[in-house]
Order: sequence, then C-alpha cells, then structure tokens
Amino acid sequence: MMEGFLKILKKIAKNPTSLAGLLLVLFFVIVAIFAPIIAHPEYPDTPYQMPQSGWSSIPQPPSWQNPFGTSEGQYDIYYGIIWGTRTAFKIGIVVIGLALIIGLFVGTMAAYFGGWIDEVLMRITDIFLAFPFLVGVIVIITMLGPGLTHVMWALVLFYWMGYARLIRGSVLEVKENDYVMAGRALGTPGYKIITRHILPNAIFPIIIQVSMDMATIPLTAAALSFLGLGSPVGYADWGQLVSFSRNWIISSSGGNPFAYWYTITFPSLAIILYAMGWNLLGDALRDIFDPRMLV
Amino acid sequence: MASFIIRRILLLPVTLLGLTFLIFFFTSFLSPYQLLSAYVQDPRQLQGGNVEKLIDKYGLRENFMIRYGKWLGQISHGNLGWSLSLNEPVSVVIEQRFPATLELTIYAIIPVIFVGIWLGVVASVHHNGVIDQILRVFALLGYSIPAFVLGLLILFIFYGVLGWLPPGRLDQWAQMIFFSKNFHHYTGLATIDALLNGNIPIFLDALKHLISPILTLSYLSWAGLLRITRSSMLESLGQDYIRTARAKGLSEKMIVNKHARRNALIPATTVAGLMFIGMLGGVIITETIFNYPGIGSFAAQAATQFDYAGILGVALVYGLVTIIGNLIVDISYAMIDPRVRLG
Amino acid sequence: MKKSVVFLAIAVLALSGIYVMASSNMIVEETIGSIPTLDPAWSYDTGSGEAIWQLYDNLIQYDGSSISKFKPMISTNIPSEKDGTILDNGKTYIFHIRQNVYFHSGDILTPEDVVYSLERAVIFDRAGGPSWMLAEPLLPTIDGAYVDSIEQWATKLAGVKKFNDLFLSGTRTPKNDKYRQALIDTFNLLSKSFEVKGNEVIIHLPHSYPPFLYILAHGVSESSILDKKWLIEKGGWNGNANTWWIYHNPSREKDPLYSIENGTGPFTLERWTKGREIVFKRFDKYWAGPAKIEYGIIKKVPEFTTRKLDLLRGNADTIYVPRQYMEQVENVPGIKVIKGLPVLSVDVGVFNFNVDSKGNPYIGSGRLDGRGIPPDFFSNENVRLAFDYLFPYNAFIKQVWVGQAIVPNSVIPKGIFGYNAKNPTPFTQNLAKATEYFKKAYNGELWNKGFTMTLVYNSGNTQRQTACEMIRYYARRINPKFHVNIVSELWASFLDDYASGKLPFFVVGWSADYPDPYDFEQPFYSSNGAYGSTIGKNYVEWAKKNMNTLLVKSMKTVSQTERAKIYNQMNIEAHDNAIYMFLDQPLSMHVQRSDLKGWYYNPMRPGIDFYSLSK
Repeated sequence: MMEGFLKILKKIAKNPTSLAGLLLVLFFVIVAIFAPIIAHPEYPDTPYQMPQSGWSSIPQPPSWQNPFGTSEGQYDIYYGIIWGTRTAFKIGIVVIGLALIIGLFVGTMAAYFGGWIDEVLMRITDIFLAFPFLVGVIVIITMLGPGLTHVMWALVLFYWMGYARLIRGSVLEVKENDYVMAGRALGTPGYKIITRHILPNAIFPIIIQVSMDMATIPLTAAALSFLGLGSPVGYADWGQLVSFSRNWIISSSGGNPFAYWYTITFPSLAIILYAMGWNLLGDALRDIFDPRMLV
Repeated sequence: MASFIIRRILLLPVTLLGLTFLIFFFTSFLSPYQLLSAYVQDPRQLQGGNVEKLIDKYGLRENFMIRYGKWLGQISHGNLGWSLSLNEPVSVVIEQRFPATLELTIYAIIPVIFVGIWLGVVASVHHNGVIDQILRVFALLGYSIPAFVLGLLILFIFYGVLGWLPPGRLDQWAQMIFFSKNFHHYTGLATIDALLNGNIPIFLDALKHLISPILTLSYLSWAGLLRITRSSMLESLGQDYIRTARAKGLSEKMIVNKHARRNALIPATTVAGLMFIGMLGGVIITETIFNYPGIGSFAAQAATQFDYAGILGVALVYGLVTIIGNLIVDISYAMIDPRVRLG
Repeated sequence: MKKSVVFLAIAVLALSGIYVMASSNMIVEETIGSIPTLDPAWSYDTGSGEAIWQLYDNLIQYDGSSISKFKPMISTNIPSEKDGTILDNGKTYIFHIRQNVYFHSGDILTPEDVVYSLERAVIFDRAGGPSWMLAEPLLPTIDGAYVDSIEQWATKLAGVKKFNDLFLSGTRTPKNDKYRQALIDTFNLLSKSFEVKGNEVIIHLPHSYPPFLYILAHGVSESSILDKKWLIEKGGWNGNANTWWIYHNPSREKDPLYSIENGTGPFTLERWTKGREIVFKRFDKYWAGPAKIEYGIIKKVPEFTTRKLDLLRGNADTIYVPRQYMEQVENVPGIKVIKGLPVLSVDVGVFNFNVDSKGNPYIGSGRLDGRGIPPDFFSNENVRLAFDYLFPYNAFIKQVWVGQAIVPNSVIPKGIFGYNAKNPTPFTQNLAKATEYFKKAYNGELWNKGFTMTLVYNSGNTQRQTACEMIRYYARRINPKFHVNIVSELWASFLDDYASGKLPFFVVGWSADYPDPYDFEQPFYSSNGAYGSTIGKNYVEWAKKNMNTLLVKSMKTVSQTERAKIYNQMNIEAHDNAIYMFLDQPLSMHVQRSDLKGWYYNPMRPGIDFYSLSK
C-alpha cells in the first residue's frame, strides 16, 4: 500500500502541472491547519467571525494592519481568506463525506443485490438527478433558509447520486470477477464480499472523483453566497468576500477604474487557486489510475 | 432495443410523480408563518387580526398531503400557482422566460462543442507535450474560476471599459419594436423572431446582448468536453486498428482525422447532450449577472424573495426537461453503442 | 467562417452606436423594487405606488415639494374652514369636482366615480392592505376605537366571531337573510358618509379625523379615482350594497385591476413585463395638458454595477444608488447627485418586553445565568437605558449611512409637524452611563453573571446588520461576559420569528403612510399599534396606562399646535422610559444624468414623477 502511494507520488512529481496541483493543495492544507497562528483571532471562541476595523462601507486599500485591505463593512480580507480556507475544507469534507456515505450505501446495495432493489434505488437516484445541481440546491435553501449548515445539507442532498452511480458501475464490473464469483460460491457472507473484495477494487474512480469534487463543492457554496443564500454575514468565507466586492469591481468612471482591485483580486485568487489545485491533482490521478490512459 | 426504450418510457410517469413529490416535500419544512411571508412585505401589514386572516385566506395551515393533493390537481391542469416575486401566474413566467434561456443555451453550446472537441483532439495528439499541458491548465482554469468572477470581469471589460456589449436582452429601442403589436413572436427566441420578421437590426442587437453571457457560459464548459474528447481519443489511438494503420504507414494526420476521431466523437456528443441539459440549469449565475430575463435569473430572484410557487415551478420545468432530455440521450446512446443497454 | 464572424462583429458594434442616443422623448429609470400590482386599492408599497402615481389622479395633490400645502387635482378646491368647505368641526368636507376630465378609455369623470372609488377602497380591504387608512375616518368607531376593517362592523352587526362565519363554508354566500341584512347595513354605514350634490362631493365623517386630507392626496394610492362604468365592465364591484362582500378581500389572481388600468393620469399603460419593466405612454387628453415626454419607463435592474454602467452610458436617465455606493457616482461628469433629502421614515430598535420563551433559540438558557437572558429581560428599565446609552449613534450615521441620515429623538421624523429637535434630547453613546445602568439592573447580578442573546436581522439590510454588530462590539467591550450573537435571516424566517414573538431585540423601519404624526405615534405607542401590540404584555399594560388616552385626545382636535403638544408629551414619556432605541432618520438622494430636467423632491411621492420631467 505504502509502496503504491510512493509510486503515485513519483508519477505526480514527474509531471510539472500535476506537481503544481499537489503543492497547491498542500499549501492550503498548511494554511488551514495553522490558521490560528497566521491570523490570530481576537475572540478565540468565535474564530470564524472576521474582525472589522470600523464600519464604514467603503473598502480600504492594503495596509500594515490589513495586508489585503478591507472589504465593504471593513472586514479584514486577509483574515477572511485564511479562515475561509478552513471553511472551504470544512464544506468540502463534510459534504463529500456525507454524500460518499450515502452514495456508497445506495450504489453497493443496488449493484450487489440487483433486481428490484436495484430498480427502486436507481429510479430514486434518477429523480434526484432530474434537477440541475444548482437548481436543486437553491430549491432546498429557499425552503430551509440560508446559512452554512443548510447549504451543506442541500449540497449533500443533491450530490450523492454521482457517487452512487459511479460505485454501482464499478461494483458491477468487479462483481463479474472470478474471485468474487468464487467467494460467493464458497458461501462467504455478503458484507464480507463487499468490504473485502468489491469496495477496495472500486475505490480508485472514487478517489479521482473526490479530488475533483473538493474543487467543485466550495465553488458551488461560493456561488450561493454570491446570490445571498450562503453563510451568515461576517463569516469567514471566500464566496462572501467576493460578493462583498461585487459592487466595487467597477469603480467610478471619473477615477481609476481599478481603485478597489484588492476587494475582488485576493478572494477570487484564493478560490481559483484552491479549485485549481484540486483539479490538477484530480486530473493527475485520473491519468495515473485510468488504465485506458496507459498508452 | 425496443424493450429498453419501452421500459424507459413506461417508467417516465413514475419518475415524474416522484419528482413532484420530492419538489413539494421541501415545502413541508415551512411553518404557516413562513409561508405567510410571501404575502407580507412589512410587519405593519400584520396589525390587528391580520395574521390569522391571511393564514385562513391562503390555506396555509392545511395538512401536507392535502396541500400536495391540491397542488398536483393544479399542476395537472397547467396551473403552477402564482409567482409572488413577479406577480403573475408561474406558467406565464415560464412561458415567457424559458425561450430566452433556451436561446442563450443553444448559442452557448455551439462554440462549446466545436472548440471543446477540437481542443480535445489537439491535446490528445500532443499527449503529455507542451500543448497538452497548456491546454490542460487552460481547461482546468475554466473548471476552477467561479462563474460570477468571470461574468463580472467580462461585464467590466466589455461594458464598463469598452462599452460594447450591454447587459439585458435587447436595447431599449429594440425592446420597443420587439414588443410592439405588429412584431410577431413565432418562437420566443429573439434572434430567430427578428429574422422571421425581417428585422436585421433587432437580430444584430439581440446577438450583441448574447455575446457576453455566451462567453461566460461556454468558457466554463469547454473543459469538460476537452477532457472527454482527449481521453476517448487517447483510447482509440491505442486501439489495434490504429496500430495497424500506423504499421501500414498511413500519415499521422490521416489516422487522427479519419479513424481515431470518428470513434472518439461518440462519447463526446453524448456528453454534449448532457452538457446542454446541465447548461440550462447552469445559467442562474450568468443570467443574474447579465440581467438576462431567462428562467435562471427568475430562479435566483424567486429564491431570495421566497417565491416558493415560483421555485416549485422552475424545479418542475427543469425536472421535466432533464428527465426527457436524459431519456433521449440514453436512447440515442443505446442505439449507437449496444453495450449500455444492460444498464 | 472567421471572416463572417469579423463582419458580424463590426456590424453589431456599428449598430450599437446608431441607436443609443435615439431617444430624447423617453425617460428611463432603473431601480430595484418590483411592482406587485396596479390596483390602487391593493397597493401598499413604493413600487406599485410609483406606477399608480403616473396613471391615476387623486382629489388633491401636494404643492411641489411641500408636504403641508395642497394643490387642486380632480377637486378644483382644497377644502378649508376659511372657505366654508370644512364644516362641523372637521367632520364635513366639500369637494368641487373638475369637469371634462377624461379617463384613458375616453369616458368622462363624474362625481359618482369619486364616491365609488373611495367606497371601493374600503370594501376591498385585502388582508394586510391599506384599506384601514380610509376605514378609520369613514366608518363609525366601535367602543371609541377606530375601525380598521369593514369586517369589524359586519361581524358586530351580525353578532358572529369571524367574518367567515357569515358565509356558507368555501363560498361568499351569506348563510341566512339576517347575515345578509347585517352585511347590507354595514355597507350603509359607509355609504352614509357620502353625498353627491350636482358637481359637489360632500363627505360626512362620523367623527373628526385630522389627517383626512392627507389620506386623500396624490401619493396615497388607494384614494385614486377610478372609472366606475369601465370597472364594472371588467368584472369589478358594481357599487351596490348587496354585492360588496363578493369583492371583499380578493386573491390577487381574482383582482380585475391588477394588471390593467384606466385612470385620468398623465400617462397610460403601454406595456408591463412583470419583474422587468413597465412602460408608460403619454396621455394626450390629460386635463392639465400633455406631458413633455412620450414614454416613461421604469426598469428593474437588481445589480448596482449594471445600473451604474447604464447611467454612465446614457441607457438610463436616473438610477437607484444605495448610500454606501454614493461615492462611486459623485463627481462624475454628466451625472448629477442631489443629497440630503429628508425621508419621512425612522429606523427603530425594538425591545421585546416579553419574549416568547418556548423553543426560543435567541435567549439562550432563558435565565439570568450568563448563558442566556430571562424572557422579560427588556421589561427592566435599567437594561433598556443601558442599551440606549450603549449604541454609537453618531458613528452609525457617519460610517454606515455615509452621513446621509440624522439621529431622531422620537418616532416623529423631521419634516412632519410635531417634530421637536430639542425635546426630548436624543440619546448619545455614553459607555460610563451604560455600565452604570447595567450594574444597577437586577441588583448587580446581571453585571456579575453576564448575558448571552441573539440579535436577528433580515438579510440584505446592511444598516440593520451593522447596528447589530455595533451592539455586539460595545457590549463585549464594556463587559467580556456580555455575549451578543448575530443571525441574518431571510424575510420569511424573520417574519416567522417576529410573528411568534421570539425576537428579543430587532430593528424595524416605519415610513409615513401620510405626513401626520398620528401615523407614527399610533403604531409604536398604542397598545394596539402595529408594533406596540406585539412587544409584550408588560408594554401593553404600560401603554394602556400612559399612552392610549393621550393618543385618543390627540385626534379630538384639529388644531395642529395642540396636537403637537400632546405628541411631544408622549415622546418625552417614551424617551424617559427608554421604550425604543431611535437609530436614524435616513436622508435620501437622487442620482440622474445632467440633461434630465424638471425633477423635484417630495417625500410623500413614491419614486419619480414622469409628468414633471423632460430632456
């Protein structure tokens, strides 16, 4: 296992874009872990609350006190980006984790048992798939009301279907393998076959997908914040920082059109680099794991 | 083959019923007071006994299954309720706005298909070369840049700085003609209707307004198609018959164009079909930024104004389009590639 | 392929140059509000009000920027005691109706149309609508209290509990003849107030009601004059006593007037694309002469950046600019910004004297133990005083309102009679005093144990959000044990919590229905006011003792000085007891292109007046 991991790392390191992806992800992991040191919270019991220097609605340019400047409402952009990294990971891990659990359950059940169970589960999956992702999520948030927890529930509710289908497909493929057939013939219990033989073999496509989704999910959450349906105001969240900037992107035509460049630049760079890192990594993993790529 | 299609079609009503239940189920989270907010803009409206009066008037305290039954009865008659954010029947809203979204999506999918496939082929031919790496970064950037950042930047450059591409659907002068009585609306698509009415200036004006949202939408989707094309190209380039062709000494250009690409295009076109459906839903942000009067900007508006009838209507329409769209894609894919019939 | 693309691009760009400036007879306003209805009797919001303003006329109108002087409109006279057109100590009003006034359909306006319109406004009475404004003066009082809804008389006369009890379930058919007669009698109470004599409409109020003329003036949509004949053709109420209940409290779908109009105003409705734009076309037979422009257009453009670019590029003539973005449109060549226009509204922090503690997440433990607040926390006068001294009023206005607001000292905004800047003296931030009162409250227990509570505001309102943030900041500064959490909620959830009495403290605004202090004093101070009645039984009891009698007294006299004195007394009482926290009275601004001429400000006018504008 360890050996395989090293082999993968080696392959990633050989390719400059893949390496860049890995480094970006590592960078954000470090930022998230050391957030309390890099950006010290004033009130440790509410660290996700971005500190404000004043209440003026006009953004202030970078200074010693606010290295990335302040947004409208005087929230410190630097602080928001550092702690926003944690938010991004939190959303990604929670949403994907839960979606994966549901997906694993539904996918394996459907594929392993087949028959009417498969039929029912897949039709339910179809119903959920009948919504474009963002539409489904917005419907739920309309009903539940905005807020980070609600956003995460909504995302989970409309994200597990991809995993379920993926897992069902891989399990079906693996199920036909000789050793699974042999195990069944020998009377090994179903759950053992699933956990010992089927899942380990189906896991690679999931890893690729998860890596890609670690980029997609925070992007979607950011889009919801942009529409005013996301995290509460003042919560360290990249999407919210970008939405703070939306009315300052084009400053008055009398002055310099880029006067408030910092309000959009830093938060969107954070989002783009974070998503880019996971996407590059996922792409690299795909190249490595996908046997069809072995030309 | 036939049984596969029949089975899928027979399942359609079941899926649709499930869809309506799922959509309506979400409203069960709401308290009567929350439902009430759709009718009340200011707490002053609640003075006196108005709270109970309003709850009675709109039947907000009824049991979930009764409301679901009523709603099903209504939608089966094409009555999707009353949109509180736009103050007209939801069916009218959708009828007016869906063509606009359809128009945008159709125009946006064309460059996506051409450029995406072309770039995918290029990337696969230069597999792991410099061009492949550049294209990969370029495509992944499309995956990584949020639609609202890209959209705002495009708005800034092409309207804010250059003043070329205004937001909206038509300029005011064109709007006045477009909505006048002797302008016939055959399709609801502004460009097509303009051509059918023989009004070239309006056609060009509508086109002008479409460019920015198309750029935004399509850049975000190129990457997907590029990836699919690239990987299926690589797959077919590794097939035996290609090796044979190489061994026979055919030129590389010939191999790529004649043999490999044709096979690689099958998954790509399927994905394009799914992408088209997905894009219909992906227009929410883009339409909001460019103030484009489609169903996506309506959805965003309805969500923030708690127009739940509107949201339910949008969800229903999207659900229908997606289910039927998927069915078509599945069936056509099954016709092309017999292996999938089992699934 | 490439060539054709280039050609197309050039053609598109060339065309955009030709048409942009083609429209000097058209004025475009871009704003964010939507227009829920065009029915004057339904309209109770600025968006509808602005559209109805262009389409309909009222009996009288304000004179330019004034909110105290009137000008004739459909009535050729302004009733006054001096002319003998206000009689019986303010109970009888005489209006001379203008002749040869055309409706947009071509019909000619008659005095009967005036009576019909006002009666319809009262019987229409949609739940949560504006009908109370005319119901209060026109219907007799019950037990000395004004009647807000015609339903109150119907249920009283029939002797039933609820209006719906009068009808067979699910219908609008009265259960029996007795109920039918009660309904008819109810209407006769209303119609008794009106008399048509030749060209005159005489209104006999059952009691004096000093703000009555304000309620009839242009700007209050529900007093718009409709075309009776036309409306009956369109399926509206026929004006008879024995049918009115069918047209009472309709659903929006069934309101025949919601998207069509036939007013006498200077513009006709050309087109209304809901949620996008409404287009008005000049009415050439307008009695005061046709407008200078041919088209007036109100567009809804939610994104500020888009509105700004449209203004700068000349695609819009005037736009709505939120105050915090003021700086972005100031000092721009070709753009005119007019600031400091007093708005007749106040933003008020409301203390809930008795919070509903059942399943209430906003008061923590619900006890005075540092992890919550007791449900009657704000019944404690010291607590209220402490909070009133805690708030940084000046910083709030300077930073959040960008200086575009003033500190109110009572519910009466500046500009309305009865406003007295000196007395009471407005609260200012004084942390020492706040500390003192916090220490005094609950005999020091509060100070030692601290508290935790949650403030809620409706999302999207930056000012309210910041007000909450400021309270959180300063509370924590004077005592680290004071924990204030802030939650933003969509309107739906906010209203849910408000209606169920769960919010301990929240910020609301109140803007004038008509420019009379009664419209501000009643909702906040009366024990049955829109807010007064919802902020806890301890307040209701206090108000019954201290406020209600004064309020009744204030409506018995027509003399403005005497009324102002009474309201001042109420304001001082409220101030000394720290009943509310008065945050701000906004100053509004107007942003337009410099070539737009004729704009003037009137705080009672919703939006702009296309009739006055030209380019």
